[in-house]
Amino acid sequence: MEPLIRLEGIKKTFGPFTALNGVDLSVNKGEVLALLGDNGAGKSTLIKVMSGVHQPNGGTIYVDGKAQKFESPRDAAGAGIGTVYQDLALNPLISVTRNFFMGRELTRGFGPFGLLRMDEMDRITHDEMIKIGIDISDPSQAVGTMSGGQRQTLAIARAIYFGARVLILDEPTSALGQKQQMEVLKTIKKVRSMGDIAVILITHNEIHAQLVADRFVFLSLGQVIGGGMTSELQGPEIRRLMSGGAEIADLEQELEAIG
Amino acid sequence: MSDAANADLVERSEADRLQKGGIIAQLVKRPEIGAFVGMIVIIVLLGWASEWRVYNALGLKNNLSIIGQLGIIAVGACLLMIAGEFDLSIGSMIGFAGMSIAMMLKWGLPFGMGEATPVSAFFLTLMMTLTLGWIIGNIVVRSGLSSFIVTLGFLFFLRGATEVSFRIFNEGSTQISGLQDFKETSWFASIFGGETFTWAYDLAFQLGFNLNRKGEQWVTGLDARVAWWLLLTFLAYIVLSRTQLGNWIFATGDNSESARANGVPVNKVRIGLFMFTAFCATLFAACQVFDTNTADAAKGNLKELEAIAVAVVGGTLMTGGFGSVIGIMFGAVIFGLVQNAVFFIPSIDGSYFRVFVGTVLLVAAFANENIRKRITGGI
Repeated sequence: MEPLIRLEGIKKTFGPFTALNGVDLSVNKGEVLALLGDNGAGKSTLIKVMSGVHQPNGGTIYVDGKAQKFESPRDAAGAGIGTVYQDLALNPLISVTRNFFMGRELTRGFGPFGLLRMDEMDRITHDEMIKIGIDISDPSQAVGTMSGGQRQTLAIARAIYFGARVLILDEPTSALGQKQQMEVLKTIKKVRSMGDIAVILITHNEIHAQLVADRFVFLSLGQVIGGGMTSELQGPEIRRLMSGGAEIADLEQELEAIG
Repeated sequence: MSDAANADLVERSEADRLQKGGIIAQLVKRPEIGAFVGMIVIIVLLGWASEWRVYNALGLKNNLSIIGQLGIIAVGACLLMIAGEFDLSIGSMIGFAGMSIAMMLKWGLPFGMGEATPVSAFFLTLMMTLTLGWIIGNIVVRSGLSSFIVTLGFLFFLRGATEVSFRIFNEGSTQISGLQDFKETSWFASIFGGETFTWAYDLAFQLGFNLNRKGEQWVTGLDARVAWWLLLTFLAYIVLSRTQLGNWIFATGDNSESARANGVPVNKVRIGLFMFTAFCATLFAACQVFDTNTADAAKGNLKELEAIAVAVVGGTLMTGGFGSVIGIMFGAVIFGLVQNAVFFIPSIDGSYFRVFVGTVLLVAAFANENIRKRITGGI
């Protein structure tokens, strides 16, 4: 089966600094790929290349087997790449529905002065949120009333509704409480069960990754240093790869030495 | 399995922690509720203190004239504040527009374009003020400077430029008076300076009210600006709460980076709203010039601050993203009535108006902050 998204030898340099040094990865439909790595491993740069914010200096991105060149985030969105950043791009004082359709409102009439089709938008928002596992009783409530986990879910539902087939989640569980983290993991499982969406989960938390991911890819210093199916990987091995390979052993020795 | 999981989730939904509440609980979340209660209190209080003279035929006309005038610029200030910006140049823009219209009517159009008519004087002035609004908006969005500072600059610049222009053309005087009474001869002038709702006053006369001491009809109608105020308020209400542009205005003021990330043209929204406040100021000036047939370089002084005060009392958040046009309407009624109260209750000192404005403003700002917390569930 052709992967939904495939990266081949992606390189990205900023001046003399090499952020990505030939990254290969691929994700199938209905699969969750956990992308792990320490700070500075190049995770953020890789997201930005995939979502069209940065243009790679080398390598190719294939979506559905077709080579793509993203000049802007709009290009990437057009090709079905949806990115949910950590700040979620939500406005707390505005209602759930208005956030869901922000910038893409359904209107009747001419241009920006067109009247909003509010009932229809409320219904769609409610239905899309149910699909992903959250029943918001009142779509006209402000987003500020929702928990962090629910906001994350709203942002994910919005990305999917507006055509994301590759969903990139940038550390969705960081900065959340225990229960809300579980809520987000449930949402990711739901998305996976939809079957036609490829999820790339960027995270620091290997426990979360093990709970929902099918496969792992480890990034260090701009290169893929390992990976594998979740079932094949053991905890210590994951932690070793996450911290960038052998270095953790050195660190342990150093800690020992301090006593 | 998914049904079971679903039920489980629904059961423990976070949203259920927020009680929807009854009608009253819903009402106190409305941004305009404080202004509404304040308005009722003021209406009753002033009516009682003035032995209800505030609301006789002439009282209504005079009060609504002040209210409408304030309401027109407050609508502009409100939409701009919801989008997260201020315009301190409104008052100076009123002086500038009034001078421009009056000078053209007196000495003809610039660059030898011949005699001015009310139509050409108004639209030429509007072109200039809209351009100024566009320039202010562009400076704000391109420089990233606070709109407070940029428009403060224009407050001084425009007022100074208005006075200088007046003195150069007008032999050192900063006033023009005795313009021809255009509202009698031009329909266009009369829609700004004439009267409106004459039918209501005629009807009241037929029904035996609205009589002067001789038993004739006393007042013939309201000032035209009242109709402009109602029209502008209605349109602004529709745009803000029912259109795509309205959603963009809220989104721009709440979190402009989020709005931008979702494809909202935040800069165009901001520039457009600076042009809208310039339009409101021009409308204010046109109503004044065509009504009184005079212009004064000092016109509109401090009006920008009154407009912002009305917007805050009407429930608009200083930090943007939240507010209501209906609340602005109530706020304009409150301030208009109190500003005019001295004419009906001569025993009070007119300066109490400012004492009142200051107090109400502080109370409203605290109340708004509370409303914001209530809306977001205090999180």
